[in-house]
Amino acid sequence: MKKLLYISLSLLLTLSLQAQVDRSVQPKPGSAPKVNLGKPKSFELPNGLKVIVVENHKLPRVSFTLTIDNKPSLEGELKGVDNIASSMMGNGTSKISKEEFNKRTEYYGSGIYFSVHNVNGSALSRYFPEILELTAQGMLDPLFNQEELDSERAKLLDDMKANEKNIKTIASRVRRVLLYGKNHPSGEYITPESVANIKLSDVKDYYSKYCVPENAYLIIVGDVKFKDVKKLVEKNFSSWKKAQAPVSTYTEPVNIQQTQIDFIDVPTAVQSEIAICNITNLKMTDPDYFAVLMANQILGGGGDGYLFQNLRETHGWTYGSYSRISGSKYTSNFAATAAVRNAVTDSAIVEMMSEIKRIGTTEATQEALDLAKAVYIGSFVMNAEKPQTIASFALREKTQSLPADYYENYIKSINAVTLEQVKEAANKYMLHNASRIIIAGKATEVLPSLEKLGIPINYYDNYGNKVDKPILKNVDVKKVLEDYMIAVGGRKAMLEVKSIVTTATGEVQGNALTMIQKVTNDGKYYQEMQVAGQTMMKVVYNNGKGYIEAMGQKNDIPESEIKALKYNASTFSELILINEDIKYVGEEDNAYILALNNDHKYFYDKTTGLKIAEEVTKEMNDQLHTQRVNIGDYRLVNHVQIPHLLSMDIMGMKVEFRIADVKINEGVTDADFE
Amino acid sequence: MKKTLLSLGLLVTAITATYAQHVEFEEYDLSNGLHVILHQDKSAPVVATSVMYHVGAKDETPDRTGFAHFFEHLLFEGTQNIGRGQWDKIVSSNGGQSNANTTDDRTYYYEIFPSNNLELAIWMESERMLHPVINQIGVDTQREVVKEEKRMRYENVPYGQLLLAVKNNLFEKHPYRWQTIGSIEHLNAATLDEFIAFHDKFYIPNNAVLVIAGDFDKAQAKKWIEMYFGSIPKGTDVVKTKYEETPITKQRNAVFEDPNIQLPMLLTAYRTPSMKDRDAYVLEMIASVLSGGKSSRLYKKLVDDEKIALEVGSFNFSQEDYSTYFILGIPMSGKTNEEMLASIDEEVKKIQTELISEEDYQKLQNQFENEFINQNSTVENVASSLASYYMLYKDVNLINKVLDIYRSITREEIRDVANKYLNNNQRLVLDYVPAATTAQE
Repeated sequence: MKKLLYISLSLLLTLSLQAQVDRSVQPKPGSAPKVNLGKPKSFELPNGLKVIVVENHKLPRVSFTLTIDNKPSLEGELKGVDNIASSMMGNGTSKISKEEFNKRTEYYGSGIYFSVHNVNGSALSRYFPEILELTAQGMLDPLFNQEELDSERAKLLDDMKANEKNIKTIASRVRRVLLYGKNHPSGEYITPESVANIKLSDVKDYYSKYCVPENAYLIIVGDVKFKDVKKLVEKNFSSWKKAQAPVSTYTEPVNIQQTQIDFIDVPTAVQSEIAICNITNLKMTDPDYFAVLMANQILGGGGDGYLFQNLRETHGWTYGSYSRISGSKYTSNFAATAAVRNAVTDSAIVEMMSEIKRIGTTEATQEALDLAKAVYIGSFVMNAEKPQTIASFALREKTQSLPADYYENYIKSINAVTLEQVKEAANKYMLHNASRIIIAGKATEVLPSLEKLGIPINYYDNYGNKVDKPILKNVDVKKVLEDYMIAVGGRKAMLEVKSIVTTATGEVQGNALTMIQKVTNDGKYYQEMQVAGQTMMKVVYNNGKGYIEAMGQKNDIPESEIKALKYNASTFSELILINEDIKYVGEEDNAYILALNNDHKYFYDKTTGLKIAEEVTKEMNDQLHTQRVNIGDYRLVNHVQIPHLLSMDIMGMKVEFRIADVKINEGVTDADFE
Repeated sequence: MKKTLLSLGLLVTAITATYAQHVEFEEYDLSNGLHVILHQDKSAPVVATSVMYHVGAKDETPDRTGFAHFFEHLLFEGTQNIGRGQWDKIVSSNGGQSNANTTDDRTYYYEIFPSNNLELAIWMESERMLHPVINQIGVDTQREVVKEEKRMRYENVPYGQLLLAVKNNLFEKHPYRWQTIGSIEHLNAATLDEFIAFHDKFYIPNNAVLVIAGDFDKAQAKKWIEMYFGSIPKGTDVVKTKYEETPITKQRNAVFEDPNIQLPMLLTAYRTPSMKDRDAYVLEMIASVLSGGKSSRLYKKLVDDEKIALEVGSFNFSQEDYSTYFILGIPMSGKTNEEMLASIDEEVKKIQTELISEEDYQKLQNQFENEFINQNSTVENVASSLASYYMLYKDVNLINKVLDIYRSITREEIRDVANKYLNNNQRLVLDYVPAATTAQE
């Protein structure tokens, strides 16, 4: 009995001891797990295709990736050809119809994703032979025809349209243009024109030049046996003709001399997309590579980074701010990024710049460096034994020319990095004195404070073309036009006007002039000038066609002029303008200025809402001429306000027309416009 | 003798190959009601530790939308033994990763560590459950962070407000009608006291499940779990409010304007049953028939053959109380939403009236098997599946039975379920259009 009590007491004691754990002490890690780096098996076909196989039988599936490691090439006038050729691949072969091809690949439970430089997919292991066969057929014998080209082209154009206002798309395109230049593979971008240029022969040509086995790597991971894979690959890929892709030449970009802001106006933005970047030439084999990785981790690798701690945790300006840099045999770039609300854009830039400067000029703490090392080593330990990682290590060893013991020494290399090396590496690759601060954001809300930073600002459009500084006032164009309509008598009254005939009189150099104008609400316009009762000139326009008759000669209205007449050929041009791409471009005295196509301006009085002037700019003999008509003396005729005074300057002479007679819904016949 | 052994050996291999995707697990309750699930997988030195709480946006009040997600942010601010700003540092300096996410139904926190840091992960999650420090600095900072998250994910991206537009028009009574991220106005109004009360009500062991998946010693793990979680007091059981929606019997039409888009999108949405309902699985198969891949019916017809649509998609958005079935498409330039809708309607009609072919049926089975295997290929994913199956589906064993459910669904059932839910009078037709041109554009 006593013994039993003793046992239960001690049991109780153990239990309560366990319960009274000291929670204030952070648990220490157990002994570090050992990393066993698996070695993949590999072989090469006579045509140059290199195959890497990692057997892993844990799950009944296989995944594969075929990568062609060509040097990035210029597409130039045909930019988009890689995109189009890629999307045309996997849509059948010369022997299998598109429908059949898609049906078969998807029957096996998975898709295969094709592009000129990369093909990948996965399958249940029992279907792997069929899937690999279809992959080879789709890759080596793609069906390229005009119908597919037209269809993919139309989709690409619409896809571009779908992303036209996407601030992330805009920001990333302009970043690449500014960093690399338009004539570099990383900087050139697709336009509707370049997509229109692409012919079927271009697609075939591009495919046959670049989809070649010389630098191709096929990686197969999963529930397969090496010897089966070897047989399958030999059977399916031996017919791939040995060839090497052409190498295009272009100028590599260099960094700018002094930090500048590059601004892109995105009027709908509720956040600014900020990227502070510079070009880098960092290879994975460079001695300072690991120091750069640590520097980037400390600056912006994650939640503990300088950028995240500052912008998110201290200030609450962003959901996250990070930086990235990578080692590559090709030119690459460093970038520190954040998406912040409009109001704090300037402050965010100041803080980001100061963090970039800090990592390159002030030694980090040992704690920060240890943490950065732990992140890399932890991730390595957790992933190194996974079959996908084994395969990707093997691929990188080849494509980046790494020494054979690179990954065996990985942990050692990271541990060897010192604080001094981190600072030097940051200073060398993250340029706080010569970086581009590229911002896509809403100019009206962001620009005034950016201008106060004292950093030179350049302005770009959505494609990286230099433009003038955007206008900073936010005016609702629709409202200006609607206010005009209300002032004139309201939309309802305006719509009841089917035609207007005005007769006006004026005087030039002592000669009396009469101007008769007829306009209709269905796209017709008539103007006649009379001197002393004689018709001098006549302009007739009817829905897109028209002529000028002067001094007995009748000529078609030139193409360049006819477009603008569309707006004159209406009872009130505002009824049409409100549906056009008309923009607010500024102000003059007490008026808003709206512009259509940059060559036609309309002025509306802020107080009365009425239109007070129109301006047309034309190019004549390589010179720009602006013709302005002032409009005034509005008087009520049939419930609508009609201006009774038009004045203009013709070659230094002031000409005034007074309207003597207005007829609404009468005095017009079809014959007038013939 | 040798021969027999060999064939026996082969037999064993064959069996393990067939059941290779079987997920072994062990589950039990602590005395405070915390449910524990352990899944061992020693194939890589990784261990995932996660806690799922049965609280999400649907537990919010209509004047505090976004509260549950906002609260999730606060639980990274620190605990009585983990200082402010230390959470991420501890995780990183021990080579791990950690994050969390909130849906309408639940909130999920996790850490992934090299296998020698399981005790640390258990300690951290127990700290978070027992005594997080919720204070004004944290509330003020995270409020701004959440607002930025909203702008970044929903307001500054094309089609970012799609889900909101649908939920708004499909639910009247159920809190599914609002957005998980919430409204800025409500985020501004949330007070410190409300957060503390929220923690006391929902962040209790008897409203949570702890999952450990990966490379660890079970006995040791159980000891640590008891040590760190055992003393956390049990709370008052959470009683969930039931919201019953009146069935939709007349087509609803709505328009939503998005300033970030240039091409309109057309969307039809149907209210469908809970993720637990067998019909929800059938609807997933229907979605696959309609838009899973290039050989699917909608893609083939609208994108490939008729060239009406730039993109089409359909899916069953499965949730605990109700699900939502979506069909959506972006018309090609020059084509209209109406043309697209007419063509979609034909395909829906077809699946409602004709059986899918035997070949299509086998394709479906292959696709779901493939998806199932991929879903459970990492310990992180297995941990998350186990937690969801326990908490939302109320059956952890589903992780090994789900494929059998799909296999048991017949071609007739696919037709009948399409007939039951995907009718015009049960749907919302949403025109998701570019916002009218405003100044400066």
